[in-house]
Amino acid sequence: MSTAGDYKREHLIKMVNQIASNVPTREDIPAQVSAHLRQFWTPEMQETLRQIATETPDRLNEEVHHALRSR
Amino acid sequence: MNMVQQFDPAQVDFSQDLGTPGARSDVMVNVFIDGIGVSVPEGTSVMRAAAMVGANIPKLCATDNLEAFGSCRLCLVEIEGRPGTPASCTTPCQEGMSVHTQTARLDKLRKGVMELYISDHPLDCLTCPANGDCELQDMAGAVGLRTVRYGMEGENHLQKGKDESNPYFTFDASKCIVCSRCVRACSEVQGTFALTIAGRGFGSEVSPSEQQPFLESECVSCGACVQACPTATLQEKSVIDLGVPSRKVKTTCAYCGVGCSFVAELRGDEVVRMVPDKQGGANAGHSCVKGRFAWGYAQHQDRVTTPLIRDSIQDEWRAVDWDEAITFAADRLKAIKRTHGVDAIGGITSSRCTNEEVYVVQKMVRAAFGSNNVDTCARVCHSPTGYGLKQTFGTSAGTQDFASVEQADAIMVIGANPTDAHPVFASRMKRRLRAGADLIVVDPRSIDLVRSPHIQAEHYLQLLPGTNVAVLNAISHVVATEGLIDEAFVAERCNKTSFKAWLDFISLPENSPEALAGTTGVEAETLRAAARAYASADNGAIYYGLGVTEHSQGSTMVMAMANLAMATGNIGRLGVGVNPLRGQNNVQGSCDMGSFPHEFVGYRHVSDDTVRDQFSSVWGVTLREDPGMRIPNMLDSAVAGEFKGIYIQGEDIAQSDPNTHHVAEALRAMECVIVQDLFLNETSHFAHVFLPGTSFLEKDGTFTNAERRINRVRPVMTSRTGLSEWEATCALSEAMGYPMPYQSAGEIMDEIAQLTPTFAGVSFDLLDELGSVQWPCNEQAPSGTPIMHKDQFVRGEGQFITTPYVPTDERSTRKFPLLLTTGRILSQYNVGAQTRRTNNVVWHAEDVLDIHEADAEARGVKDGDWIEIASRAGQTRMRARISDDIPAGVVYTTFHHPVSGTNVITTDNSDWATNCPEYKVTAVEIRPSTEQRA
Repeated sequence: MSTAGDYKREHLIKMVNQIASNVPTREDIPAQVSAHLRQFWTPEMQETLRQIATETPDRLNEEVHHALRSR
Repeated sequence: MNMVQQFDPAQVDFSQDLGTPGARSDVMVNVFIDGIGVSVPEGTSVMRAAAMVGANIPKLCATDNLEAFGSCRLCLVEIEGRPGTPASCTTPCQEGMSVHTQTARLDKLRKGVMELYISDHPLDCLTCPANGDCELQDMAGAVGLRTVRYGMEGENHLQKGKDESNPYFTFDASKCIVCSRCVRACSEVQGTFALTIAGRGFGSEVSPSEQQPFLESECVSCGACVQACPTATLQEKSVIDLGVPSRKVKTTCAYCGVGCSFVAELRGDEVVRMVPDKQGGANAGHSCVKGRFAWGYAQHQDRVTTPLIRDSIQDEWRAVDWDEAITFAADRLKAIKRTHGVDAIGGITSSRCTNEEVYVVQKMVRAAFGSNNVDTCARVCHSPTGYGLKQTFGTSAGTQDFASVEQADAIMVIGANPTDAHPVFASRMKRRLRAGADLIVVDPRSIDLVRSPHIQAEHYLQLLPGTNVAVLNAISHVVATEGLIDEAFVAERCNKTSFKAWLDFISLPENSPEALAGTTGVEAETLRAAARAYASADNGAIYYGLGVTEHSQGSTMVMAMANLAMATGNIGRLGVGVNPLRGQNNVQGSCDMGSFPHEFVGYRHVSDDTVRDQFSSVWGVTLREDPGMRIPNMLDSAVAGEFKGIYIQGEDIAQSDPNTHHVAEALRAMECVIVQDLFLNETSHFAHVFLPGTSFLEKDGTFTNAERRINRVRPVMTSRTGLSEWEATCALSEAMGYPMPYQSAGEIMDEIAQLTPTFAGVSFDLLDELGSVQWPCNEQAPSGTPIMHKDQFVRGEGQFITTPYVPTDERSTRKFPLLLTTGRILSQYNVGAQTRRTNNVVWHAEDVLDIHEADAEARGVKDGDWIEIASRAGQTRMRARISDDIPAGVVYTTFHHPVSGTNVITTDNSDWATNCPEYKVTAVEIRPSTEQRA
């Protein structure tokens, strides 16, 4: 059963995977994802994303993991 | 030549009716009007030249927003060396011409003409609603009419009855002089062609459609005919009820992003009518049914004019004074800050409020709340425009002024329905289309522009919802592979590396029209023809709306359009450009004013130390360098129990935002919801504090329209709440510990100008002097900038960005086989809070679902049936309407009525870059409803 906190996490997962799939220039996607997060995501959202990457790594695209590792 | 005096053209009063439109010519001709010399552009009528020098020739069928007609025969003149007495309205000035406007011969002729008119006109001037505001009355006086030899009992019109079917104006044929001004206004100005003259000779009469009542005709109630009528034949009901106005105030409409200028005409503090301002930069004297007539909501009984508070949303509201409400709100917000931290509160600004009102809200959030948790309702409409145009051109705004469309040779309308959503601009566009410009429409729905009287799109790309980017990529593929790129423009103006990358990408076979036809539903040859038409035109212009932005690839699509415009050299001059048609009146302004959580005023990122230091210095407070939360992030955090308090300015997120159940759950979870609005809206069901807002008729400030035009909004009447909205915000900020002691709205604009390079030259004084200005307005452009990116892009070189097509996750399935797309209609506006409280409801009393006949038949649905409509987010019910405007597999509805619950079924899918909701694609299924609703 999902909880209220899950909804937020699910939304962040969907958002970041969508960013990775859509950043226009298909070269160096992790760098673009990373730049996008820096520009538009709050520090708290970025921190939650790092937790997601640790706790449920299979939920995130590989490019997102690269982006998080490169920061 | 008997020249006695040369007229100074600077003395012309262009606010008066000069009789015929101005001529466009670089060649000037010199004429003499009653001995006064004047120089006018070639093509100028004698009537206009005479009016310019103050020699007003009597007229009835002429007015300067309509082409000369020459029917009333009142404007006769004598010209030296020419026989007869030609009509001055249809006679162009010629070099050396000497005109006499007042002679004994002319006096006699004009009196004779007036006698004929008056013989078939009721002599009820003293009780006529137009008494004192009637051109027929004026002309009778001007020609010195004293007797009517033919009697006063004309046989053809005096017995005609009144048509009172339209809620806003009456048509009294007995007063009609058949001057055809109304018919011509409907055709030339509005472009609807709803009126004609039926019958012949003395029996001629004005006929809406096929002699139907106005309400049942094709009339769109723009009011151009009413404004054009020189008598009381077409008369506002408000004038009939209240009498002729006694004072005037210039202001700006508060509906769509066209931002029409109006002259509010009043008796005392009561608005009698709104008359579009002929000198308005955005509308040039035209208006629509909303702006001209639907202002009654300002006085509606539902207006809440006293602050309200309550401890919990289960309690009844308690009316209190401003001090108590502000203290209550501040105490709650401060308590949340103490307990949960500064990130637990935030605010939302409104595109329906002035720049000054928006500015103080975002400043309060950043300076008093202590975070960057501020967002705006543009999040759910044009945030992808801001992102996409900034990436490619360097600034988050459209490139042209509205007048630019008059120079366009090929017009591409993508995901916009201007005749409904931006009607005054649509009229301007249709005028250009009737003059011969090619039209390309890209839309799943067959909107009016595809085919309507005297308009037919040469190219109609009826794409499947969600495939915009694929279509634009295919168009650009044709441009790139058929030698249609403007190589010189690209070489001179654009970044070469990015162009090369884009060219390589767009030329790939997978982007060809043939490869994408199965995806988009658009035949390859149809698309190729449209691409050639746009790219080959001398001037190609793109206009787009929410059908572009409200998609999972909204930002990508904006960049795709910018790429296409750059590749074809369609940027930086009149007649071209990439032009967002903004939904609400101040979408551009609310974005400009620093409403986004990552940007200060003027689109400068909060992490920029130089910019942040500047704001910190002027505001006297340390500011955060990290972005705040967007609206969906705030709502998610609220549901998670982390975000606790919100200030919502003039927006009804419980009706307008997607996935209503989630919005409601978030609002319900908060400890302090403050709503500032005119009415207790859907969101206020979850509010603890209600701060009464002011209507546009009470506001003092500025709106910025879709063409970056900053217009003054002047208080027409005193605030019904006792405070301006910005004063209420400042009071709350002060109670939170951060005073904002502005003395006037003008002082707020001065601070905006101080902090914003693109607004550096803007002030209320300048706006009062010039009427309006388009930003950038600064030392380099003291009178503003109608056309952007003329010599170089704001970012320097134009940046091409590759735009791979990524299909949305929202696809039709066996369970939800239809695709729902949503939009708006002419008579209603947004969530309907204003228009539902006017007589506009006669045109749209409820939202209905448009469905193709084949889809309806397959489900046993008949026209007018109640149906249930379900998506994975929720379900609601409304009536069905069988429509051939949409293809099979697609359904369409509006969201103007809360009872329809349209956004109960829209999902939380959103644009990848900006989180703008994907309103335009929701997979749904419908079935007949067993339950009927009254």
